Amino acid sequence: MFNQKKKEIIAMLLAGGQGSRLGVLTERIAKPAVPFGGKYRIIDFPLSNCVNSNIDTIGVLTQYQPLELNAYIGSGQPWDLDRIYGGAFILPPYMDSEGGQWYKGTANAIYQNMNFIDQYDPDYVLILSGDHVYKMNYADMLEYHKEKQADCTISVLQVPWEEASRFGVMNADQEMRIYEFEEKPADPKSNLASMGVYIFNWKKLKEYLIKDEADKKSDNDFGKNLIPAMLQAGERMYAYVYGGYWKDVGTIESLWQSNMDTIDPTVPLELDDPPWRIYSRSANKPPQYIGEHAELSDSGIADGCWIDGKIENSIIFSGVTVEEGATVSNSILMPRVTIRANSRIDYAIVAENSEIGEDSCIGWADEGLIMGQDGQITVVGPDLTLGNRVKVARGAIVSTELKDEEVVK
Amino acid sequence: MKVLGIIFSYSTRENLRELTKRRTLASLPVGAKYRIIDFPLSNMANHGIHEISVICRNNYHSLIDHLSAGKEWDLERKRGGLRVLTPYDRMAGNEPVLYRGMIEGLANNMDSLHRSRADYVILSGTSVIYNVDFKELLRNHIASGADITAVYADNYNGSHFVPNGSPIYHLDDDDRLADLTINPEESEQPNTRWGIDLIVMRKYLMESLVADAIAFGRYDFDLDILKRLAGSLYIKGVRYEGHLLEISNVPGYMKANMKLLDSEFRARVFRDPVYTKHKDSVPTRYFEGCHIRNSMISEGCRINGVVENSLISREVKIGRGAVIRNSIIMQNTEIMNDVLLDNVIIDKDVIVREHRSLAGHSTYPVVVEKGSIV
Repeated sequence: MFNQKKKEIIAMLLAGGQGSRLGVLTERIAKPAVPFGGKYRIIDFPLSNCVNSNIDTIGVLTQYQPLELNAYIGSGQPWDLDRIYGGAFILPPYMDSEGGQWYKGTANAIYQNMNFIDQYDPDYVLILSGDHVYKMNYADMLEYHKEKQADCTISVLQVPWEEASRFGVMNADQEMRIYEFEEKPADPKSNLASMGVYIFNWKKLKEYLIKDEADKKSDNDFGKNLIPAMLQAGERMYAYVYGGYWKDVGTIESLWQSNMDTIDPTVPLELDDPPWRIYSRSANKPPQYIGEHAELSDSGIADGCWIDGKIENSIIFSGVTVEEGATVSNSILMPRVTIRANSRIDYAIVAENSEIGEDSCIGWADEGLIMGQDGQITVVGPDLTLGNRVKVARGAIVSTELKDEEVVK
Repeated sequence: MKVLGIIFSYSTRENLRELTKRRTLASLPVGAKYRIIDFPLSNMANHGIHEISVICRNNYHSLIDHLSAGKEWDLERKRGGLRVLTPYDRMAGNEPVLYRGMIEGLANNMDSLHRSRADYVILSGTSVIYNVDFKELLRNHIASGADITAVYADNYNGSHFVPNGSPIYHLDDDDRLADLTINPEESEQPNTRWGIDLIVMRKYLMESLVADAIAFGRYDFDLDILKRLAGSLYIKGVRYEGHLLEISNVPGYMKANMKLLDSEFRARVFRDPVYTKHKDSVPTRYFEGCHIRNSMISEGCRINGVVENSLISREVKIGRGAVIRNSIIMQNTEIMNDVLLDNVIIDKDVIVREHRSLAGHSTYPVVVEKGSIV
């Protein structure tokens, strides 16, 4: 092999997830490729965190609908990951002389790529998930891992006690050494929730991956099998408490909320952060044009937009058109969406390339109901054309084209 | 047919005052996000010209920083690609000598230009922004049998404006150049054909014409090649019919930028993608109380105030109560609360402190130099 160099740490980024709870938004793209925050994709966060933490070798494990993700990552250049030694590598499942198989679980995905990791002879391997939004310095976590002389360090978040039962919870002693792991416990003993960010000593991880693979009853999953097995064997496993913003954008509501968090000054997810930029592949669009009739407030708008309507508390991705008289509030318009004149979009996500005709209402609710209060978000899927005077009720999901004056309840 | 694009980063007839004091014309910011050179580079790259040399003369640091290896224009290539040609050692005593015209620029880079295997060259200046179909231009050049094709405009986006210092082409009935004069002053002149600094010819012809001219101490491409040889060479004038932006003085710079606020015109300028250096700025944030009307705004800005008929570049901050009208604000500038600006051009990295008020006139805009604190 050529262009190899020993690396202290490399990252393996699990990006094969379907994100089935995102419905129409992930019908044709993997969850890490879902647009986020006005110009990013979710995967930009772990990728940018890596390069900002001086990790320059990243294996991206893809499986579900990888086409868009492959094209997006390309040579890795937007993240400075087109390197002579290292860089970004897309790792789909493959065949060998013994046959081949899909990635059965998170641990199996890493198991199948042990040769890739061995090329770099790393001391440590960082396991990441491609569907979380957060800014984190993995170099600090690695320091902690070395200080504790750990075999495995798991990044955890202190969540409110009442929510702890929705997470994988780490029970740790005063030294933060983990003695027990419980997946979604009914009666949690701790509020330290796993973020799905792990650092392993590579030799140790490899040993357990091989054992786990040999166990025919295992689901080959880090949380369910591998970590409990390591705990049981008494390996040195530590929890690393992360204090910043972190969100699993697994549902429509959490995706909407997390997007809104990027424009909320009270939430510690400031993207305008030059020492810790989030990088993305550029859309190469001209600057946005704001017309004669526009009214803007509390919103983030990307390049290439043409805005002549009213935008409030919304995230507008690149290449969006909003015509005169239209009102977009509390909503997310993904790339190249068109909102025709006098339409009203409220508490909605409109996916890429879709067009909403004139005088329509997306996120319509009966009189007396306060919009969005029950957390229901209306979704219009990608590449759809909706006619004029269409009404789509709050919380509805639109996945087919609609003719003029159609009503969706 | 292999083509070498040659872009001159400088103009010998520009007078942009403070705007080009510390930068070459090609790296002058324009259109709220771009540098002038993005337009000819993108135009060439979009039409299959992937070998481009940029001839620099002076103050080209900002240009090199902008272009780097040409990645953003898809010009980082093994075969061809972008070459930035900085001046060779040209000294008279201890003083560096600047190229006097295009011919000297070409002559001093002949080693590099010789090495290209291209059959044809397309020469372009940077004071005029256009969007040409280069493939068609080359096809027509070859089909016409002309030695040189020189592209001209006979209007400026519909007006009869002819820029100061432009070469005026006098063509015979077969569109062959008969004579050339230099426009002595900026004025309205109907039925005048003025060259837009866009020339096509065989590479070997350019090499021998340049060698000849230099041997006799001649340096001005328009007068010493086109005008002088109009009788002996077949120099064909070809009319350019698309949109134009001409930038050679401050009011012209203002006018060119403001023209981009015309949505129909802007759609034509950006019909094909125009590439530029990425900055990875966040989407622009608009806060409560801001009011924006008829303006072009780039990413990374934070806007609290009023912006009308203006162009705002990347990462500009505009404070509460500030009112900006008919102005151009370049990258990374901060306009603090309650500032009033009208017909002002503010260069990069400027801070305008609270309650300051600056006003110029569209024919004489106020220019605030890069890095100033007002």
